[in-house]
Amino acid sequence: MNLHNLIPFLLSIALFPLQIQGQDKHTINGYIRDASNGESLIGATIYVQELESGAVTNFYGFYSITLEEGIYHIEFRYLGYNTESKTIELNNNERIDIELITEGQQLDEIIVLGEPEDDNVSSVQMSSNKLDIQSIQKLPSFLGEVDVLKSIQTLPGVSAVGEGTTGFNVRGGSVGQNLVLLDEAPVYNSSHLLGFFSVFNPDAVKDIQLIKGGIPARYGGRIASILDIRMKEGNSKEFSGQGGVGSIFSRLALEAPFKKDKASFIIAGRRSYADIFAKVFTDVLADGAALNFYDLTLKTNYNIDPKNRVFLSGYFGRDNFKFDAQQGFNWGNTTSTLRWNHLFNDRLFSNFTLFYSNYDYELAFGEDDLDKFTWNSEINTFNFKPEFNYFINPQNEVTFGADILFFNFEPANAVGVSNGEVRDISIDEKNALETGFYLSNDQKINNKISLQYGLRWSNFEFLGDSKYYEFDNPEPGTRRSVINTMESENFEVIQNYSNLEPRFAFKYQLTSNSSLKTSYNRTVQYIHLISNTTASNPLDIWIPSTNNVKPQMGHQVALGYFKNFGSENAYESSVEAYYRKTYNQIDYIDGADILINEFIEGDLLAGQGRAYGLEFYLKKNEGPLTGWLSYTIARTELQIDGINNGNWYPTRYDQAHNMKIASFYETPGRWSFSANFSFISGTPATFPTSRFEIQGYAIPYNQENSRNNLRIDSFHRLDISATLKGKQFRKDKKRKNEDYWIFSIYNVYGRRNPFSIYFSQADQRPFPGKVIETRATRVSIIGTLLPSISYNFKF
Amino acid sequence: MKLIPIKILLFILTVTIISCEDRIYPTLKDANPTIVIDAWINNKPVEQVIQITESRPYFDNNLAVGVIGALVTITDNNGITYSFNDTGNGSYKWTPGVGESFGEIGNDYTLEVDYDGKLYQAFSSMNRVPVVDSISFRFEEKDFVFPDSYFAEFWSRDLVGSGDTYWIKTYKNGNYLNKPAEINIAFDAGFSEGGNIDGLIFIPPIRDAINPIDEDNNDNFLSPYSDGDSIYVEIHSIPKDAFLFLNEMALQIDRPGGFGELFATPLSNVPTNIIAPADEEALGFFTVSAVNGNGRKLDIREIPK
Repeated sequence: MNLHNLIPFLLSIALFPLQIQGQDKHTINGYIRDASNGESLIGATIYVQELESGAVTNFYGFYSITLEEGIYHIEFRYLGYNTESKTIELNNNERIDIELITEGQQLDEIIVLGEPEDDNVSSVQMSSNKLDIQSIQKLPSFLGEVDVLKSIQTLPGVSAVGEGTTGFNVRGGSVGQNLVLLDEAPVYNSSHLLGFFSVFNPDAVKDIQLIKGGIPARYGGRIASILDIRMKEGNSKEFSGQGGVGSIFSRLALEAPFKKDKASFIIAGRRSYADIFAKVFTDVLADGAALNFYDLTLKTNYNIDPKNRVFLSGYFGRDNFKFDAQQGFNWGNTTSTLRWNHLFNDRLFSNFTLFYSNYDYELAFGEDDLDKFTWNSEINTFNFKPEFNYFINPQNEVTFGADILFFNFEPANAVGVSNGEVRDISIDEKNALETGFYLSNDQKINNKISLQYGLRWSNFEFLGDSKYYEFDNPEPGTRRSVINTMESENFEVIQNYSNLEPRFAFKYQLTSNSSLKTSYNRTVQYIHLISNTTASNPLDIWIPSTNNVKPQMGHQVALGYFKNFGSENAYESSVEAYYRKTYNQIDYIDGADILINEFIEGDLLAGQGRAYGLEFYLKKNEGPLTGWLSYTIARTELQIDGINNGNWYPTRYDQAHNMKIASFYETPGRWSFSANFSFISGTPATFPTSRFEIQGYAIPYNQENSRNNLRIDSFHRLDISATLKGKQFRKDKKRKNEDYWIFSIYNVYGRRNPFSIYFSQADQRPFPGKVIETRATRVSIIGTLLPSISYNFKF
Repeated sequence: MKLIPIKILLFILTVTIISCEDRIYPTLKDANPTIVIDAWINNKPVEQVIQITESRPYFDNNLAVGVIGALVTITDNNGITYSFNDTGNGSYKWTPGVGESFGEIGNDYTLEVDYDGKLYQAFSSMNRVPVVDSISFRFEEKDFVFPDSYFAEFWSRDLVGSGDTYWIKTYKNGNYLNKPAEINIAFDAGFSEGGNIDGLIFIPPIRDAINPIDEDNNDNFLSPYSDGDSIYVEIHSIPKDAFLFLNEMALQIDRPGGFGELFATPLSNVPTNIIAPADEEALGFFTVSAVNGNGRKLDIREIPK
């Protein structure tokens, strides 16, 4: 028996009890695609009228449904597309690939989300939001640059440390606790320009899904959330392209079939061009100085035959700051993913993923070769991920697979040269292997009850060869010193951790348009983002769990009520409550030295966390006015020995109230408008009580020794934008090309929203013997209104 | 490891002029006054001063009130005691005799402050210090930050053997460069223990951090040194605990401001090595340093352009 038969065979034995006996059964399967460009449609519904139930397509647009012999009326539906109906006399296995045609003439007129019409109510997945690129593009954006990551901050349960910061916080998790996947490959730093823009080119993104709770067993490695970004497939019908000129980037994306309906590609690039303008007007960028950032995204796919498809996708991006020819820093991500979809049989779909992901940064300082300092750091990840979807019957869909990740960390390769003498101060490489195996079943008990239950077993090995250390145990909150240094062999297992991660979700359908859902998940995270600054920055490193740093762990329970109302589910609404408890959360001693520090583990503290909240969401899908409102009331706290006298304290991103409104208005003419409004209650900050002087410096002192003891003012901001479509007809002939202008204003009423408050001496040079003036200063990152214009086109 | 911050921050600030700052007057929590002992003693042949004051509300912009009536002594490991005299305003002074200076390299010292029936103690040692060999100047043409400028650099080699820590103090025309951004400390020849740069000539960011960063009334940066200016650079050997104190103090008081606040660390209390009696609290630091210094006057005719 070869591999090809072995897996289905083993499965059918393992899952035998689930296979209900009865008369002959046959399977219908296939792909659902967009008729205009051949793009796979994820989450499209296959509805069998006779069963009043059906299936949905998976991440690759594939579905499979097994039914008893008979005649069926089947509808293929996807929101924003015309429903396709077929009557099938089922007496054999059938392959039905469907291409759906968009409603109306242009896809971008539909600003509702690409989900089955009542997916939010009927699916067992809760705590999840999907946004398709069309709605992301409609949101008013910072300097007119469409931003995938900023758009998810309009969703309930999602917050950020502040404007212009990297990353996002989900249900009280830290930035490093989100798994950001681009076509299955993790992206370690998702921002350009220190956090103002995200690295994902909107022209190459198909859709994004954020999972905040009830995380399925197929995902692992981070404890707070999964942001799954799927790249667009190239147009398999004809050559097309899109692009734009904005205030920061100019963009161009081209896509075309290699072979019609068989193979296609998309290539999309962006580059900032402030430096190009600057060169014209100033000599600031003379002598080799540079400031730019760019990214390139590429994806190709090939439908070999009805049973095999392959995809190759890649991303490359970089930020470049140079002070002159020798000095500067740069950073960027590289990912590449190779995937093979294979149908073992009509009901067993498989995907094999191989990926490589790298994040690195590099700094160089010094006037010449006799006096310089160079430093780079990187994290490399290699992964193999086989995954299987077994569509047993309309009641059960089993997903199982493995996830094997090899990590290579290079915390610092650094060389200092002082007056011609060289010192290599590099830190040992560290290696680790993370493996996960999972099995999960989506089960429909009846028309009311659905379950998803799964188990993930994860294992982590911190591997040699690197030195490892034993530390002493001083008073909590102070630096721990090395008491023993140990050597390890190449690939020797220095420390091993393994964990079972149960995942469970339950849905009870109350009525045809309302449901109750609950979920529980345990998640474990073995690699850690080390960042002790307010916002994460490009120099932050990732470290593995070691003999001294334990894996982070989290439990989450969530309960939600989902209801759609209005004609044709015009309104969607939900209320969800969650509670998270986390362990081995990392914080830092005061004055922690986290860069180029071989003994960094001695500067880390560990403790527990808790977060809870209530999320409200209301979305209007139909009519000229659409949009959504999200409101979250939440609390996020940590308790770490050595901080805040060992008492619980709120995290920097603890926001009691967080409200976002996104709205879109379509006129019958060429104009459309959108607005978004945010209100966030004040985030915590640490304020001093007193001052004292040492050697002529005025030092703040907080007598309670507390952390985050007061709150800064609340944050609110309104952004608006207007889109003007180009004329569709020219000289009475319909134009082939489309174009549109976007005019936007960020922070319309120019509020100086506080980002932080800091305490310092006055700027002037203190005069000996005179008192030093102390003051408090409020910082607003964007303290003014910012208008922008961009021009976009498609052909 | 800290970055060479000035140029990076200035650069970033020039590209992100959209951030802005406002002075505000928040209400802070009340706190009781705490005794503060500021005792940084060195072996220069001059009067040595220990300041004893009390902490006060953060926005209190009056001079600190001195603690008077304390008994202040420093004793070394050979039993020699130095008595510091109360001058009635919180300053306690010890004046060396002719040709005399405080202490000896390699000795350990105990500070005792007896005040109001309570005994405060602290310990320190006088460590070895390298020689400041010379100071050089260089001319740099106008760039997007500075005008045509003269920058100074000091030349000195860290003593071989890791774990030496230093505070480098610079005086321009006799005035100590006392801005928080001008605090210049070294762990061996580099920035931090993890860096482990031992036995080298101090690395360039430390050599260069003896230049005052001042602006004129129009917020234009000035040349750090001009023709005729004098510079004097001192290396103070400090124990490791004092290095960590200064490192932490610089983090707390040298605030990046503006966009740099994105990457600031949270406010936290600086450490102290003053041991207070049970149920009492004390702030401050006691350190004994050996000092070596060197100076030069800028004559622009000697500096190649």
